[in-house]
Amino acid sequence: MRAFNAELSKLFSLPGIWLAYLIGAIAPAAISALESMAQKEEILAGVSTRLSEVGYIGLALGVQGVIILGVLAVSSEYLTESSESGGGQQITTSLTVVSSRFHLLLAKACAVTVTSILLSVVAIMTTISATHFVLGEYTPAFEVSKLIGAVCYWTFTALLAFGITVLTRNGIIPLAVLIINTSVVSFSFLLSKVTKLALYLPDRVGIEMFMFTSDRFLTPFTGGLVMFAWVFVLFIVAAIVFHRRDVAA
Amino acid sequence: MRVPSSKKITLILGAELGKLITLPLTWLTLIGTFILNLFLAAAFTSVGLQETAGTQSILNIGLASMGYLQAGFIILGILAACSEYTGGQIRTTLTTVPWRGLQLSLKHLALAIVTIPAAFIIAASGVFYTFIRMRDTATGLEIDTMLAAIAGATGYLTLTTLLSAAMGALIRRTTPALVILLGYYFVVSPLTRDLLPGLKRYLPDTAGSYMYMPLSSEEVNVLTALQGTGILMLWTLLFIIVASIFYRRRDA
Repeated sequence: MRAFNAELSKLFSLPGIWLAYLIGAIAPAAISALESMAQKEEILAGVSTRLSEVGYIGLALGVQGVIILGVLAVSSEYLTESSESGGGQQITTSLTVVSSRFHLLLAKACAVTVTSILLSVVAIMTTISATHFVLGEYTPAFEVSKLIGAVCYWTFTALLAFGITVLTRNGIIPLAVLIINTSVVSFSFLLSKVTKLALYLPDRVGIEMFMFTSDRFLTPFTGGLVMFAWVFVLFIVAAIVFHRRDVAA
Repeated sequence: MRVPSSKKITLILGAELGKLITLPLTWLTLIGTFILNLFLAAAFTSVGLQETAGTQSILNIGLASMGYLQAGFIILGILAACSEYTGGQIRTTLTTVPWRGLQLSLKHLALAIVTIPAAFIIAASGVFYTFIRMRDTATGLEIDTMLAAIAGATGYLTLTTLLSAAMGALIRRTTPALVILLGYYFVVSPLTRDLLPGLKRYLPDTAGSYMYMPLSSEEVNVLTALQGTGILMLWTLLFIIVASIFYRRRDA
């Protein structure tokens, strides 16, 4: 429990983490507001087609906030300090204090989970209010099950980012891959045109939890389950690697 | 020690090139981008082959991966600028080269010298791969238009790299710079393309994309290749100027 508190306090005091909170809280609302404005014109013209999706697009794209959170939580540990302040890495201190590697990883993962759940709740609130503000009486009803799906999607994505960064120990690659992959032009979407197996990639199944895709092939619940399986496998691999690897290497 | 000014420039440029070439992440990024591009070209080609054969041009498919490719070059630009700030290298740099404006502009020049051949090879390899795979099915292709498109792609990637380097010098931390640029190029820009199409002509990436996009018949091309180059160049210069103003004024 004390390790968990320590991880939480580290997570909130990281340099650059403000960007994660800012993007996580603001971006979904901003995207939904823009989308709602476009929708409103279509409603007034009487040709609305995608009204039911309106807030969820923002939530699908705004997941980048928690990606930054998950990546920074690990990559900051491996960042080498400047030679003027000793040239050390935070991970050596962390492992000196919490000597069980598994416990450290678990505490960190829990801290990331809790923070991303909080962040996603904040994001959902800002998104719903932004949609209400723009659309007014036309606002579609937000189903609770889908909102829970969005929270799950955010949390699982944060944990995926976390697990990948434990393996790479450098924030650049997971950030680039995950940000591009959650964007409009994702790798998985391209791959899913080549092979149907790509539909099982974590972000495609995660989206199924709350988006109405035209070619839906998993129910929201199985989608969440498959994504959880990805997270779980990745976490086990990360734990094994983290357990066996020399810190300094 | 007095050094004549022409010699000074060569020395600084040499030093900047040396720093850039000996950065291990430079090579990792470039090699990674190269391999990734081939994979993407393969994916786009097989998607293209599945669709009705004979109608789509090799260039369209060969350069379809540009959207992803630019991520590698954005990373390269940010690394070149931000690596100075991890571990206090910047103070050594400024002790040996106390002319800040000159140093920053020569850093961009050194970056361009490394980027141009790399961008050319990577863009050409994608088109070449598509060419080999689709030789039989696709319509004929003049070598002139192909070279022009590859040259445009090279220019686009180089200018994007320089823009990212300027952004990196402005923000000075790798992660926020990376998030802001990738967020812009991959999330904000595609969204504004749909929701606010009027801005398309003036934004750096969409205007720049006219540098390499082959003229398509269905879409009315609003910009020529030269106009696109001009707008992207203006953006890049603007960012470099802002970065050097901050660089000269700010505590290192």
